[in-house]
Amino acid sequence: MSEKKSLGGVLMNGIVTENPTFRLVLGTCPTLAVTTSALNGLGMGAAATFVLVCSNVAISMLRKFIPDQVRIPAFIVVICTFVTMVQLLMQAFVPALYDSLGMFIPLIVVNCIILARAEAFASKNTPIASAADGLGMGIGFTLALTLMGSIRELIGNGSVFGVNVLGASYEPMLLIVLASGGFLTFGLLLGTFNLIVKKIEQKKTKKEAQAA
Amino acid sequence: MQKKTFRRGIHPLHSAHEGKTSTRNLEIRDYVSDTVIISMAMNIGAPAKPVVKKGDQVLVGQVIGEAQGFMSVPVHASVSGEVLAVEQIPSLGAGPQMAVTIKNDFADNWVELHPLGSVEHVDPAKVIPAIQAAGITGMGGASFPTHVKLTFGNGKTCDTIIVNGAECETHLTADYRLMLENSTRIVDGLRAVMRALNVNNGVIAIEDNKMEAVAAMQKAVQGREGVRVQVMRTKYPQGGEKQLIEAITGRQVPSGGLPIDVHAVVLNVGTCAAIADAVIDGKPLISRITTVTGAVRKPANLRLRIGTITEDIIGECGGYAETPGKIFFGGAMTGMCLPNDQMPIFKSTNGIVVFNEKESKSKDESPCIHCGRCVAACPIGLNPYQIKVAADKSDFEAAKKLHVMDCILCGSCAYMCPSRRWLTPSFKFAKDHIAAEAKAKQAAAKGGEQK
Amino acid sequence: MSLRISTAPHVHSPVTTQRLMLYVLIALLPAAAMGVYAFGFSALLVLGLACVSCVCAEFLWQKIARQPVRVGDLSALVTGLILGLNLPPTAPWWMVVIGSFFAIMIVKQLFGGLGDNFLNPALAARAVLLASWPVHMTHYVTPTFFKAGVDAVATATPLATKGASLMELFLGQIPGTIGEVSKAAILAGLLILLVTGTVRWRIPVILVASVFCWTWVLTGSPDAALMAILSGGVLFGAVFMATDYVTSPITNFAQIVYAFLAGLIIVLIRQYGSYPEGVTYGILLMNIASPLLDRFLPQRIYGYQKEVKKA
Repeated sequence: MSEKKSLGGVLMNGIVTENPTFRLVLGTCPTLAVTTSALNGLGMGAAATFVLVCSNVAISMLRKFIPDQVRIPAFIVVICTFVTMVQLLMQAFVPALYDSLGMFIPLIVVNCIILARAEAFASKNTPIASAADGLGMGIGFTLALTLMGSIRELIGNGSVFGVNVLGASYEPMLLIVLASGGFLTFGLLLGTFNLIVKKIEQKKTKKEAQAA
Repeated sequence: MQKKTFRRGIHPLHSAHEGKTSTRNLEIRDYVSDTVIISMAMNIGAPAKPVVKKGDQVLVGQVIGEAQGFMSVPVHASVSGEVLAVEQIPSLGAGPQMAVTIKNDFADNWVELHPLGSVEHVDPAKVIPAIQAAGITGMGGASFPTHVKLTFGNGKTCDTIIVNGAECETHLTADYRLMLENSTRIVDGLRAVMRALNVNNGVIAIEDNKMEAVAAMQKAVQGREGVRVQVMRTKYPQGGEKQLIEAITGRQVPSGGLPIDVHAVVLNVGTCAAIADAVIDGKPLISRITTVTGAVRKPANLRLRIGTITEDIIGECGGYAETPGKIFFGGAMTGMCLPNDQMPIFKSTNGIVVFNEKESKSKDESPCIHCGRCVAACPIGLNPYQIKVAADKSDFEAAKKLHVMDCILCGSCAYMCPSRRWLTPSFKFAKDHIAAEAKAKQAAAKGGEQK
Repeated sequence: MSLRISTAPHVHSPVTTQRLMLYVLIALLPAAAMGVYAFGFSALLVLGLACVSCVCAEFLWQKIARQPVRVGDLSALVTGLILGLNLPPTAPWWMVVIGSFFAIMIVKQLFGGLGDNFLNPALAARAVLLASWPVHMTHYVTPTFFKAGVDAVATATPLATKGASLMELFLGQIPGTIGEVSKAAILAGLLILLVTGTVRWRIPVILVASVFCWTWVLTGSPDAALMAILSGGVLFGAVFMATDYVTSPITNFAQIVYAFLAGLIIVLIRQYGSYPEGVTYGILLMNIASPLLDRFLPQRIYGYQKEVKKA
């Protein structure tokens, strides 16, 4: 992140080039655990995005005041604050989602994406850039989780966002909504995503080579 | 009698690959050609230095190449006649080497010989110098100078001399015929060495698919002191030095060590016969028995002068029966391929095998299926499939850790591999690479000391 | 004259990968024939479909991935037949196809194809199908043997009912998957594998012995132990799946440990687990351990012997 990037670049970086789930392979615990349905994935992603943006901005503003030796505990305190806010908000306004995500809401505190962005980006950049980074990463995380949730819900339950799409005669593949199915889907998506990015990069270098 | 053998190995070779039936019952014939090309590099160690020049007249048995140091043997003229050329010729795998070409005058004039007499009465101290002067190297294929093998200092002792008549390689019947037709000479040679080393235990090891040879040798050892015949199970590579020692003495040559470290010496039957010739008749090594077989019209066991050209030998055997696809010296498991049929035979050439084009075709490698056949075959107990993975990645450190340096390149794993993976070739490559690296390191260390 | 130059050896054993796979196919035939005889046409359909879809999956993958097409080595056919024999005769067609594609594309090809898969493809596919559609996978019927008037009756596996006699178990007059019903046919297959030198005796024999002994130890009854090896998939798994080259260890001692532990896991799952059958998971778990076993239990290498024997 040493080079100066435009805000749009920072945003896209989080969504594609350094997608936290498929490229950095961070935050795999919620990725595997909560993506049994598309809605769960989306909810988890949204909650994490909120925390990411807020904590990134807060940490970026405080970056000059936090002594280096105690930065990790300081980050965690900031993150905890926002997670508690999210938890209470969700409990109040979307109790059903709150119930199905359960333990994983408070566990956002230890989600390594948030700490990693605080450490790698927010503590070195301006609040606005940090907000963009947090938003990009959050969207990337949300998209990945929603995609995984949709696929697992579709195969494992025949529906997406609770809407039945494959008809009543479809016999759901239970395995996919079990833990092992989570690993399987994650592995396959990880591979596919990397394959696509690699292909795009190959094309790019080819074009550049041709241009040169 | 209890048949002995070593652990693992391949048994039996597929009958079609044994290839011994066509020459098994053919008596040894003499063949002397018009021209011979005698290489100066026929032994492991330093090549000999030519001491004749173009136009010289030489006699049979005359020294034409002088040994260069202890790890080297002299080379003798195998025919009498005129020296046509002293020039470099291609060798098998070691770059160009000096060679002497002699035009045969068919007079067969010998140099003056100095026989030492009966092996039971010869002065033991004179045997090893006689072997060295006769230019004898291991005749089984490895061409290690025999006098070096029999000279061991610093407190090492020998209690068993094993004569290798296993002939486990495919296609070859030269040793078998020698044991049938010249059994006494073999025992004479063995006795000479036993007396020279003051050893009282000589074992002649023969595989159980050669019971006629066993009978002949048993007859020959009757009344000879300390010599016995041991029947071995037919299994490849029974004739490997390390395998023979394990089978007969139950001892294992330590990794990186020599047979003498476990008090044993192994000599090929051909080497023994050559030793007898050198001691009893004072004759140097100028001829050897070679099996010529495969896609030739008349396969044969020939007594050939060293330096006879392959093309002439094939001609003597009625020419090619089919278009040759591959010619190699030795058996099919370890034989060395010839670039063309102009190559002369060496002291170690125990067979010339011609493959037709169909037999020469090699199949592509297919993926390893981990069937474990290579592991079950390896007489050393290595994991060939793992070494192959390391060697393919050029990870020679890993290959070394998997003991690739203990590999004897017998080819058992590559023979057995259902995926036709090139196991032995990659091990040879890895071994050569590691050896060269070690040598370079040693040289660098020496250079550093001098500074 | 142009001569070929190559490094020794110049001859090779006639046993190729293809031939080994053919031996396995032949060894599977008695079990397949008995399965079809016992369950009728539907069993034949399941077997055929599994074979065809496995071969298709392999062919498609190799075409798409632009790899050399190696369908001819018959390994996909072996996977297909073993998978088919692992399914109940009532398995719906789409389940067979999904299982086949999963076995070939995900378990085998994604990890590098033949020789590089760390799980037995057929077994992994069976585990996936069992977890995904447990109702279909445990819907067993009593063999009809083409007898008129006998309707196929849905029952639970004898592991759950313990109703069949030993002789019935041995001859295959019991409900089960297509391949596991007739123990006699499986033993005939084992004989073929041993005679052709395709597998060595250690894994199948020790696995079955291990199941027998552990069941005896844990239940205290030799009858139950005999029952344990004759019912369910123990024999089929021991003979055809635990012996898969790619996923079983190579050195002798490693093979012994592998088979022994697989037997132990099977018995533990059967006795204390929530599943009635543990063969699949027992073997799959040991599949994962087999590279480690090979690594830590190597053969003794020549030349590293400690003591020197006196002559």
